[in-house]
Amino acid sequence: MDFGMALALVGAGLAALMAGIGSAIGIGIAGKSATGVLSEKPERYGQMFIMVVLPGTQGFYGFLAAFLIMLKLNFFGPEGAITITTTLGWQILAASLPIAFAGLFSAIHQGKVCAGGILMTAKRPEMAFKAGVVYAVMVEVYAVLGLLVTMFILLKGINWPTPV
Amino acid sequence: MMLRLKAKALDFYTYPPIGGDDWRYGYAAARVRALQTQMIPKSTLVDMANAGTFEQAAESISTTEYIPVASKTLAELEQVLIAQRRSLREQFARLMIDNSIVKLFKTRDDFANMRLAVRRRVTDKAIGTDYSSQGNLNPEIFEEVFEQEKYELLGEHIQNAVEQAILAYYTDRDICRIDHIIDRAQAEYNIQTALKMKSEFLTGLFSIKIDLTNIITMLRLKFTESEKRKVFLPGGYIEIERLKQAVDTEYDSIGQLFYATPYYRIVSVGANYVGTEKSFLKAEQASENHLSGYLNTTSQITSGPQPVIAYLLQKEKEIRTVRLILTAKKNLLDKKMILDRIGE
Repeated sequence: MDFGMALALVGAGLAALMAGIGSAIGIGIAGKSATGVLSEKPERYGQMFIMVVLPGTQGFYGFLAAFLIMLKLNFFGPEGAITITTTLGWQILAASLPIAFAGLFSAIHQGKVCAGGILMTAKRPEMAFKAGVVYAVMVEVYAVLGLLVTMFILLKGINWPTPV
Repeated sequence: MMLRLKAKALDFYTYPPIGGDDWRYGYAAARVRALQTQMIPKSTLVDMANAGTFEQAAESISTTEYIPVASKTLAELEQVLIAQRRSLREQFARLMIDNSIVKLFKTRDDFANMRLAVRRRVTDKAIGTDYSSQGNLNPEIFEEVFEQEKYELLGEHIQNAVEQAILAYYTDRDICRIDHIIDRAQAEYNIQTALKMKSEFLTGLFSIKIDLTNIITMLRLKFTESEKRKVFLPGGYIEIERLKQAVDTEYDSIGQLFYATPYYRIVSVGANYVGTEKSFLKAEQASENHLSGYLNTTSQITSGPQPVIAYLLQKEKEIRTVRLILTAKKNLLDKKMILDRIGE
């Protein structure tokens, strides 16, 4: 394997790994709070569920970016993976960083916002969507922006060689 | 030295800072937030106080966890409430991740046990075994400890308190000295432990408690025209010199001395009431409200030990209030007196 391909794979790996770690931590934080409330108020399960799963989206964004890189590298085509230059490898690695970092940090902070929303829902269930979910979605926006930048670079910013 | 450094720092308006989040406590903080919604609301407590009979008062809380209190004797009622408190403390111990905090709160019972045991020891009564079993120390060792003077079995902080209390009693032959020495030792231990744990919340909590105790002590000294001045507890935010000065000030001017502190309202309202009505009721009520206000600030914390500790203290207060109202109802006390006691 040449150095360019190694860089591209590091990029794909980072996108999936870092966003995935962020989501795992975020869901962990929100999940702990939700189980605390549910142990006393199991009837609030429906309201809690959306706030627990929200920080999980970043992991999917990271996976999507990684999958797109592998697709563009023709991993799944009959001709096999394409050969890329070192410069192209760096470009792919750079493209993966927005979703990797935005995913990591936004998922953790979204988990904290969701935990706050879950606690508020324990006392004020009518505010679950208005404040709990809406505030968490505002954090989500920055993960989406990270994903968009990654996708723009991968789809429009890189001149991919055609498979031989 | 540490105590002195902390006491100088009066850089807050009403309540001291409570520290930040600790994400290990996500489950515990959420669980107590849900449990807080099951606490008895103030309106129900007022209904209980206004009820015509004990049975009607008990009926007001028939949908809560206090169900078995109806149609009980006072002794049975006491047992129900003790069981409630024990179960609350067990739950607190399960929810707290830092065992040192559980241990710290258990020392409240250790010091209370010691107060009783030392009194029995100096008045030559049997030490006995009828102590709270919810402390860190096993009450079964008390007889051996006091009869054979093996105070080292109590641990360093309790040992020092007990030895000083016994010595102080035999010096002055004043039983109140025992309470004062043990209160002082407990206050010092609490503050030092909180500082050692680097817990802003606990440091603030214990400092506020010390200040409120000192304010009530100051008013009592003034009311009884006592010459005692070494009874104030160290470790609070208010300088002891200010409290000493307040004892020698007229009731209507005491408040001004505390104008630059968070306790201005407590002191001015409390002192005026003592001066006019010869009662500490308003000062005690305002103190309770101030402490509750500090505990309520923990609602800003999403995850941390602060809400769990606040819940323990709020729930203990609720149990005390239920006990007060039902005992008063059993003894046919006046409604207004009960309402005055349970505060605003």
